[in-house]
Amino acid sequence: MDVEELRQNLRHSVNLLGALNLTRAAKWAGEALVGLREPTEEVETSVKHKQIHNFETLPHRESDCMMLARGQFNSKEFSRCAYSLRKCQSPQAVFMRLHSTYIDGDRKREEESQGILGANDSKVTNANAPHVLKELSSLLESPQYSDDPFLLYLYGALLLKQKSTELATETLIKSIKLYPFNWSSWSELITSITGLDEAQLILHDLEVHFAHDFSALTMVRIGKIVIYQELFQHFEQLFKDLQGLLELFPNFAFIKTQSALVSYHALEYQQAENTFDSVLQQDPYCLDDMDTYSNILYVMDKKSKLSYLAQLANEVDKFRPETCCIIANYYSLKCEHEKAIMYYRRALALNRNCLAAWTLMGHEFVECKNSHAAIESYRRAIDTNPKDFKAWYGLGQAYEVLDMHLYSLYYYQQASIIKPHDRRIWIALGQCFDKLKKVEDSIMAYKRALSLSEYIDLSIVYKLALLYQTLGQEAEVYANMRTIYVEEVNTEHHSDETAKARIWLARHEMKQGNYSEAYSYAVDLTYGTSQEIEDARAITRAARNKMNN
Amino acid sequence: METPSQHSSTLAISPLIGNRTHDTIRSTPKEANISQQSSLHNSSYNLTPGNVGNISDVSAADRLRLWRHDALMQHHYKTAEYIGDKVLTLTNDPNDAFWLAQVYYNNGDYYRARQLLSRQRLDTTSVSCRYLAALCLMKMEQWDEALDIVGETNPFRNASHKAQNTDGGIKWEASLCFIRGEIYANQNNLERAKECYTEAILVDVKCYEAFDELVRNDMLKPQEEWELLMQLDFSELGDNDEFIHQLYVTRLNKYINQKNQENAHFILKEEYSMTNNSDVIVSRAETLYVQCKFQKCLELCEEVLKEDELNFATLPIYLASLHELRAKNKLYLISHKLAEHYPKKPISWLAVGIYYLAINKIPEARKYFSKASSLNPNFSEAWIGFAHTFAAEGEHDQAIAAYSTASRFFPGSHLPNLFLGMQYLQMGNLTLTSEYLMSSFSICPKDPLLLNEIGVMNYHKGDLSNSEAYLNQALQVSRDIDSDSKSWISINSNLGHVYRRMGLYSKALMCFEEVLRVSKRDPNVYSAIGLVYLKMGDPGKAIQNLHYSLATGTHDPVAHDLLKRALDENLSSKCQEEFFAKTSREALTFSSATKTPLMNRTKHVSKSNTLNDSVDQIATDLINGADSSDEDDDDDAIMDIESD
Repeated sequence: MDVEELRQNLRHSVNLLGALNLTRAAKWAGEALVGLREPTEEVETSVKHKQIHNFETLPHRESDCMMLARGQFNSKEFSRCAYSLRKCQSPQAVFMRLHSTYIDGDRKREEESQGILGANDSKVTNANAPHVLKELSSLLESPQYSDDPFLLYLYGALLLKQKSTELATETLIKSIKLYPFNWSSWSELITSITGLDEAQLILHDLEVHFAHDFSALTMVRIGKIVIYQELFQHFEQLFKDLQGLLELFPNFAFIKTQSALVSYHALEYQQAENTFDSVLQQDPYCLDDMDTYSNILYVMDKKSKLSYLAQLANEVDKFRPETCCIIANYYSLKCEHEKAIMYYRRALALNRNCLAAWTLMGHEFVECKNSHAAIESYRRAIDTNPKDFKAWYGLGQAYEVLDMHLYSLYYYQQASIIKPHDRRIWIALGQCFDKLKKVEDSIMAYKRALSLSEYIDLSIVYKLALLYQTLGQEAEVYANMRTIYVEEVNTEHHSDETAKARIWLARHEMKQGNYSEAYSYAVDLTYGTSQEIEDARAITRAARNKMNN
Repeated sequence: METPSQHSSTLAISPLIGNRTHDTIRSTPKEANISQQSSLHNSSYNLTPGNVGNISDVSAADRLRLWRHDALMQHHYKTAEYIGDKVLTLTNDPNDAFWLAQVYYNNGDYYRARQLLSRQRLDTTSVSCRYLAALCLMKMEQWDEALDIVGETNPFRNASHKAQNTDGGIKWEASLCFIRGEIYANQNNLERAKECYTEAILVDVKCYEAFDELVRNDMLKPQEEWELLMQLDFSELGDNDEFIHQLYVTRLNKYINQKNQENAHFILKEEYSMTNNSDVIVSRAETLYVQCKFQKCLELCEEVLKEDELNFATLPIYLASLHELRAKNKLYLISHKLAEHYPKKPISWLAVGIYYLAINKIPEARKYFSKASSLNPNFSEAWIGFAHTFAAEGEHDQAIAAYSTASRFFPGSHLPNLFLGMQYLQMGNLTLTSEYLMSSFSICPKDPLLLNEIGVMNYHKGDLSNSEAYLNQALQVSRDIDSDSKSWISINSNLGHVYRRMGLYSKALMCFEEVLRVSKRDPNVYSAIGLVYLKMGDPGKAIQNLHYSLATGTHDPVAHDLLKRALDENLSSKCQEEFFAKTSREALTFSSATKTPLMNRTKHVSKSNTLNDSVDQIATDLINGADSSDEDDDDDAIMDIESD
């Protein structure tokens, strides 16, 4: 029964969103509708949900104008579409007018920006945005328009672009509460959320709001898994929720992709790959999110499969940003970085908001030793999605190369706020603090890194020891050196650090007059530089002499 | 003399021809007694019903006179001259001499007309002849002689106010006063010109020319204009008195008495159905312009121009709103059209100048503004444009000179003084700024841009509470009249800076947030927000906002330096403590994250003074000497980030 109601709601939303030219949201709703579990038996239900935007109640003149405008919008004549609607008063017509005005501004902006990372790229802004925002903010004060979910959505999305994040989030929540089936609102809301606390508060609020509405709650559940996925969470409840949704929508590629991403973040690469494979099997022409799949394959170093995916995507549609990203990934794996950059550029030219491409292009620029271009692309990545920890981390690395540790510290910090479980970031932070002469903080960071490691990373321990040495805390130095030694003895694995630790320990014991301990540290030293071995021999001799005396 | 096309000329005459058998059109008054001044009349067809019933009854001389008059009306000047000369020889009637002079005048033979009038000594005996003689001299640009003829003051001053006009035409005395005013205006004696025009309109309310000169050129202050209107005597217009009165009201300035304007429009619409009359529309457009609703103003202007492509009453306001909206293409079209059809009108070259200003070709713009002002030295718009070109290039002294000239021509407009104030503000001369801005304020206390400017001035004086008061007032006004978002943005961001300097950081943030909501992504605003956060002791947010600022592609050294400050601050032990606390809290299990996370944020608001001082110092070092007013010909002053 509940499922049928959800089906009705989705069905209605496909039509409504299509009528309002929210094509992406309409596509999403359509996929959800088709992906929904088959009904066990034919049940007739009437839609309980409040009917929004009934086009039949519009005056004829207005609905005629809307139809005309829709055609113009679909043939990409945005300013003309807005002009055709100039006299219409209904909220849906006003929405379409403002929406197409804004899109028109974006289109012009694109023309003037002279390409991705071109001369004017960051200087040109959407010239229509101020008018649209101004009009929206005054419209939303009048009772006729104030509770229109789509005007709220547009306002929220534009505010987000203006970086007026708090109000944007508020507005988008309002929009979702009025109409939860517009996926565009959801995806903007998800972009606007930056922290876990915030996400929990918002989701709780929405769950309470829709407490007894199964269809809307389903939407909240989908939103929830996407948010937690993007925040790199993987906890028990999330897997359960995912499972529930997969049962409800057995054929909905979007949910599958999310589950693959969750597996990916939990480092279960094989699981992720399998899920993507099943998506492709079920819908062979689906390119949505396939760029993420290619990332997974890249990380897994599956060259031939990545090549296969690239060929497949190329066959489906050469000029999709996803295709370009996949091909770029392929070239990157083959170390053809220039070509990879070219394809990323192409992807971004096709869709400027292609999130992954900015970050990945940044990585490629790093490979090409072009730090400034790398920084610029990472910045864009963060500009579109501040939750992208890879971009933050990349920025940190790029600035480290440029010896600007103050900057790189900040970026590493941002990265670690997003992903506090990543030891690489903590090591980088430790190095940064060290360079900035913040010894205590550096020690804290290295300790954090150590606590996140699955094994005892001797290089970190050695660094800790050195840091304690600068602080003059002999006891701590001793403890750390000792850890290295014990680890060496246990694993029988020798490295630069173990040699250095042995020498330090031997010298330390010599000073203390414990010649036999010193001797035992030094005598077994076999791995190390010739200088170290020489030193060890000297200590051994000295210790033996002392012991003999 | 612009000759209308043949077609329209016949159109105008034809009814007369058709009516000729019924009403005789008398070109000259029959009782041609020159000593009776009042009978000499310049209205061309003086109907004297019942005088002559049939054309055959008319005397031979009168028939010639009719011929002469018809020829004059149909612009057959040679015929008129030939016949008029013959009539004069036949009758030697001074009246015929006057009419022959009229023919000469219409034909552009000013010298001969003048000679004829003085030969007959008519210019001393008859008011109308004196008027015509003066007009001829003015055409020949012999201003002193013309003034000699009309006299330096109104000789009829005592009598004429009461003088009733017998035939309902415009009183000669008023016309004389008017041309006296014109002569003074051409001699650059604007004070006298203003008096003369005022006198003219007081003598006869029908002397619209004088009224138009006064109003169009803003010769009177807003209050004076309304007072003058109160003194006007509309009673002699009979039934039309209310109609003309309301029409005159719509011509007055729109700074004050908004209610009366609306009322006038209402009456004109309801009782006289004048809604679609071009002049009434233009008046509405002017109201919109004063309220900074440029788009709507433009729409109204275009409505008028649709009917009448080059309606000269509309053009100034049309050009101004095109300029405000930076509608380059439309400016291009209209200036081409004007220059093609009216190469001798100053407004054509004003349009060209504005176009060049809009496409930022300053030297060309200056050239055409100066051409416009050389065609009419009293053309104040051209002077202001001329001054703008200097201001745009940062040539303060020359800009000030030009604005001062405009201010002399335009005593009733607050704009020249406002611009002067802005120039002095940029030069850092606060005393003179204050003087000019306040005098502008006394003319128009409701211009949001002016209030903004005064706010900025007070900010620079360090008088923050006053600055806040003025900026708030500006905000209030711009909300009342719903001005466009651009001025609103600059007022709001200025207010933000004022609050920042007052240390009211949360208020400052609110202002900047408001700005963000409607502006394009302005790096300055983000930098300002960054600075505020830095002062609030929240380097994290400061860095974030400074990044937004730098991401917009400008390499602003201030933002860079602030960013470095913020990053340094970020290194401080307090921030690191927070950082470790934050990450460890989130690194803990998922469920514990629901603990109130906000406590860290507000705790450290009060920072040590040393930090504040050093941040201020750096900001000052960087900005000292930088202009605060982002000067632009649309007069917005946006303060750069700047500290104590």
